[in-house]
Amino acid sequence: MEKRTILIADDAQINREMIKFIFEEQYEVLEAQDGEETIAILDEHAEELAVLFLDLIMPKKTGLDVLAHMQVKGYTDFLPVIMITGEATPEAEYKAYELGASDIIYKPFEPKVVMRRTMNITELFEHRSDLERKLEERTRELMASREQLEQNNAFLINALGSVVEFRSMESGEHIRRVKIFTGIILEYVRKFYPEYGLTKKQISMITQASALHDLGKIAIADAILLKPGKLTRDEFEEMKKHTIYGCDILERFKQEETEFYRYCYDICRYHHERYDGNGYPDKLVGEEIPIWAQVVSIVDVYDALVSKRVYKAAYDVKEAARMICEGECGVFSDKILDCFDLAKEELFAITQQEFIEDEVSQK
Amino acid sequence: MTVKECYEKIGGDYEGVVNRLMTDERISRFAGMFLDDDSYRKLVDAMGEGDYDLAFRMAHTMKGVTQNLSFEALYQPVNEITEALRDTHRDAELAESLLPAVTKQYEITVAGIRELIG
Repeated sequence: MEKRTILIADDAQINREMIKFIFEEQYEVLEAQDGEETIAILDEHAEELAVLFLDLIMPKKTGLDVLAHMQVKGYTDFLPVIMITGEATPEAEYKAYELGASDIIYKPFEPKVVMRRTMNITELFEHRSDLERKLEERTRELMASREQLEQNNAFLINALGSVVEFRSMESGEHIRRVKIFTGIILEYVRKFYPEYGLTKKQISMITQASALHDLGKIAIADAILLKPGKLTRDEFEEMKKHTIYGCDILERFKQEETEFYRYCYDICRYHHERYDGNGYPDKLVGEEIPIWAQVVSIVDVYDALVSKRVYKAAYDVKEAARMICEGECGVFSDKILDCFDLAKEELFAITQQEFIEDEVSQK
Repeated sequence: MTVKECYEKIGGDYEGVVNRLMTDERISRFAGMFLDDDSYRKLVDAMGEGDYDLAFRMAHTMKGVTQNLSFEALYQPVNEITEALRDTHRDAELAESLLPAVTKQYEITVAGIRELIG
């Protein structure tokens, strides 16, 4: 969009006319004879103007006052200002450039030079605003495609994480709840235990990664994975290896060691570790277990307790919480238990809501 | 009377002005506007009232106009009085003493233009 109006601000009519005759064939010309009038016209028309010719010394408000006003209003960002002056005092010149003037022309005007400089400056500004517009457009496109990528990513991670559950005839809801619960508890960790230095961005990545915690179960034989009764000692030892198998799978896909990969790996491997070292597979102790794996651990235990499985009935939510807090499902850190305690009412509400929806959809 | 003759009479730089404004027709049009410019009148009034800020602005305006029209002979005393009135180094006494020279050359200039445009 090419702008076709210029504003000439000069207190002497002759001076205005001498610029006007240069431009009146190509441009609509507005005129102001003092600083106040200039400001009033700018406030109404700044966005339509291609260029402002501004006299330095004018009644009411000076050219520098006008420039200062333009800077406050942000007009200088898009409207080129050409100062016109009779003499070159270095201070006024410096001040004018500092306040955002693009160029200075001296009386007497050389029409050809004034024309040429004006064209250069307006082209420069048009080019710049064109670039800015393109950049904005490009940024918007990039944001949109990034959002799309993130959605696709989350979709694939969820699908991968749910494969195991479909194999064991479960609904895939466990993965969904683990993600929700993980997000809730991580928020409490971030708020009340800043020593872990969790950020919102990390929480979002960890939550995504939590969908893969049981990925390794895909490598467990049906005879064990789908066995309705109690597992033998050997079968249980094999079952425990799903933590390792998950990491094996991830390692094969690995392209580079990204932060997200680290969360996936740690969660697959350590989500059965316990704070006192009595978990598996590596018997890590205390804070050796990454905080993200600690959170997924407690969430996984809670959701397993309140879900109905081939080998067990569902526990009541409060009973499940009591069992976890009293150490019946292994030892968790005081900090994690504290966050679980803070989050539990939210977890209860979501659990009950989900099961009601399940029953309704089954009927 | 041609524009060139008029400029000779009033001590203007005809070569300069014709280079910039290109045609005699245009020069006469702008020169004619000088007759309507009231900055000289206001300069005299402001000096009379001792309002040197206003006097400076008016002298400054005249200076710009005479530059644009290449009225060299008028530009000289106007430039001097402008500097005498500038607030950073104002010398009111000097300004007062320069005013007659401005007036003298202003009258010569106005008379010359009147002769030109009839």
